[in-house]
Amino acid sequence: MANSEGNKLWGGRFVGNTDPIMEKFNASIAYDQRMWDADIRGSKAYVKALEKAELVTTEEMNSILHGMEQISEEWAKGAFVVKPGDEDIHTANERRLKELIGEPAGKLHTGRSRNDQVVTDMRIWLCDAIATLKEDALQLVATMVERASVEIDVLFPGYTHMQRAQPIRWSHWILSPPAECGGFSHLMSALWPLSSYMKLMVLVWVVFSGAIAGTPFNIDRELLRKELEFDGISINSMDATGERDFVAEFLFWASLCLTHLSKMAEDLLLYSTKEFSFIALADAYSTGSSLMPQKKNADSLELIRSKAGRVLGRCAGFMMTIKGLPSSYNKDLQEDKEAMFDCFDTLHGALRVTTGVMSTLKINRPVMEAALSPDMLATDLAYYLVRKGLPFREAHGLSGRAVFQAESKNVPLNQLTVEDLAAISPLFDRDVAAVWDYSSSVEQYSAPGGTARSSVTAQVQHLRRWLQDHTQ
Amino acid sequence: MANSEGNKLWGGRFVGNTDPIMEKFNASIAYDQRMWDADIRGSKAYVKALEKAELVTTEEMNSILHGMEQISEEWAKGAFVVKPGDEDIHTANERRLKELIGEPAGKLHTGRSRNDQVVTDMRIWLCDAIATLKEDALQLVATMVERASVEIDVLFPGYTHMQRAQPIRWSHWILSHAVAVSRDVERLQEIRSRTNVLPLAYDLLMLLLHVNVELEFDGISINSMDATGERDFVAEFLFWASLCLTHLSKMAEDLLLYSTKEFSFIALADAYSTGSSLMPQKKNADSLELIRSKAGRVLGRCAGFMMTIKGLPSSYNKDLQEDKEAMFDCFDTLHGALRVTTGVMSTLKINRPVMEAALSPDMLATDLAYYLVRKGLPFREAHGLSGRAVFQAESKNVPLNQLTVEDLAAISPLFDRDVAAVWDYSSSVEQYSAPGGTARSSVTAQVQHLRRWLQDHTQ
Repeated sequence: MANSEGNKLWGGRFVGNTDPIMEKFNASIAYDQRMWDADIRGSKAYVKALEKAELVTTEEMNSILHGMEQISEEWAKGAFVVKPGDEDIHTANERRLKELIGEPAGKLHTGRSRNDQVVTDMRIWLCDAIATLKEDALQLVATMVERASVEIDVLFPGYTHMQRAQPIRWSHWILSPPAECGGFSHLMSALWPLSSYMKLMVLVWVVFSGAIAGTPFNIDRELLRKELEFDGISINSMDATGERDFVAEFLFWASLCLTHLSKMAEDLLLYSTKEFSFIALADAYSTGSSLMPQKKNADSLELIRSKAGRVLGRCAGFMMTIKGLPSSYNKDLQEDKEAMFDCFDTLHGALRVTTGVMSTLKINRPVMEAALSPDMLATDLAYYLVRKGLPFREAHGLSGRAVFQAESKNVPLNQLTVEDLAAISPLFDRDVAAVWDYSSSVEQYSAPGGTARSSVTAQVQHLRRWLQDHTQ
Repeated sequence: MANSEGNKLWGGRFVGNTDPIMEKFNASIAYDQRMWDADIRGSKAYVKALEKAELVTTEEMNSILHGMEQISEEWAKGAFVVKPGDEDIHTANERRLKELIGEPAGKLHTGRSRNDQVVTDMRIWLCDAIATLKEDALQLVATMVERASVEIDVLFPGYTHMQRAQPIRWSHWILSHAVAVSRDVERLQEIRSRTNVLPLAYDLLMLLLHVNVELEFDGISINSMDATGERDFVAEFLFWASLCLTHLSKMAEDLLLYSTKEFSFIALADAYSTGSSLMPQKKNADSLELIRSKAGRVLGRCAGFMMTIKGLPSSYNKDLQEDKEAMFDCFDTLHGALRVTTGVMSTLKINRPVMEAALSPDMLATDLAYYLVRKGLPFREAHGLSGRAVFQAESKNVPLNQLTVEDLAAISPLFDRDVAAVWDYSSSVEQYSAPGGTARSSVTAQVQHLRRWLQDHTQ
């Protein structure tokens, strides 16, 4: 009855060999070995629970723990040899353990299934990954906040619909992505709930609900929970092995985060064009053309922008995979890991490159301020009339007429004479001259969230406090 | 200078007419009128802030409030008449207000833009929608928990990879899905906390805070550019809807299998089934098929909107208008799917004898291995030996429990007469008494846990 399947963890009743093409199609070791450390940590905790339940002796437990430590060193040194037949990391580690310590290795899997093991490993891995991404994102926020603080006096055009709208502080622009991330609420507070939720949900699934029915043998799940520093345990074993919500949520978080970075990239790309000339990227984040010697391309930004599609694709693809699956574990779920690893790698790269770009770019202040044009004060012109009692609706229309008139006369808006303006509305007087001042314009937006110096300063302070709260 | 654009909120500098095809392409009134109530509530709060900032008089404020109330009644009765030139709900409401109260209507828009207004309206609308979906989901969880409680003694096969795995309680299956939906409720609450943020980027001091108090937002946005240009709360809602529907699609898939002739575990109520116009015997679980189908539609809305927002420059761009139809469609779909799922779950009938007859002795192969483990063998070895027993039973064409003790002893000398105790499904399930397991005590604990959870989450 001996056969090649006998080496597999599931061989028992099988007599026929697996088709080698199927072997390859099925094996996950090529990518799931990345979780070697999580797998070892999970198994070490598990053997302690087995000892407590008297399913292994203390001596066997110590032997297994010692063997696991050796295996851990082999992986860490790049010395672990994956053998044919190691279809996944769980098989590989157990196979190596048996080589090192013999018989007792066969007791490690008592009362658990790889269905449990894999999802425990993933949750451990992802929690570590989240900690890394959190640091990356905090570093980005910190970089942007400090830059905003230093360059707070620079004014330039704010855009809506990509058309010049109103004068704003450059720092107000810088702070808008962090604010968007939910007061970094998205990068962070999406990362945050994700993270604390993960700690709750990811770390919840602890272990070893068995393939479906639960765990027999008085395995102490509380002990496992504490060993692995999980915040809770899952409440239903079928759900625990069959759901991958934490993966789907992580993939979506990554997608949403990348749309934020893509928007920042789009703005910076525009600002770096010759036509705008507001900023210049450092050479470290630019590339040239093999043909055209003058070219300086912001490839860093283009790559950041590009990744949004890749990551959304991982998310949508995985959602499609999990839709309509029957209960509990199905091999379809194996699609989870490559998606999760890819999204982690992509975000880890994108966040750090964005930080590099933001900390090294140079602004061209004179050009930015020269881009402020009087027509951008048309709203202020309307407010002038509002302050004299006119309903805004009317004031807006009259200001619009002034804009039209200036364009017809081919002069900037502030060069209409008082007479020109008085013809549009008798409320216009000499004091209208006070409108044509960009600094005064921005200073009126002093409500929270606005572009006045005090408001922007407050945003900086708010984010600095927030950063403190979120740094361990 | 008078021209048709003069009627638009933005007309001022424009002299040329808009292309009528562009008018149609651009206008959102057809669908955004759905937010008429949120728009009115937003404006009522705003005018109070304007009064406080002394930009309207108390008399003007009262006139506007009164006008808004009339408009609200018109909408509620279906009597509001949308006119050509009403490109969106904001324009329509302001136009009607002017017809009702004249001049003071023109002061309402002081210091705000439709960019602010629309996102405030959406957040108000979505918070209400979330409350409705939360109720729907709680109702579904409650229905499932009570059913699980009543039918706790029914055993049937648990499946992995759609193959018979181990015996479990039917209630354990029910609760596995209830638990997933309970997470959906928690996720929805989180989203609500990020939705319920006042985005208004009001220009004038004091307005912001007053409006916030009036509309009961939990906070205000910290940066005005971000406030008008981000739609994260929409994207998150669309994703939430997609994930929730994958949960419902999995439940539907299971129930569809169980309702086949081959399984015959359950029968749906007629209320949730349809027939065939050709084949008289057909009873199709169309309710479940439709629930399963919607996952793709909703994910499409999510992915489509994500694509729309990617790479947009800062602040408001008209691209964002794609948000509303996606949001409304996902709400409507989830509202329907959750309620139909509740109906299906509360009315289906189980066929207990068939479910229990589906338990087969080979499903106790793991227990056979555990028997050897309890006699000291490493699980790895026990698993292999049990597998050999399965193979042998299949070769002899007998059920696993009809191998003789001699047959088994040939596989391992540890097998003895006492192996007979293994072939009992009730004992099998009862060993899974750890939290989350399928023993009666564990399932009862899950029921109690979810009942407490439901209490905590019901207002």
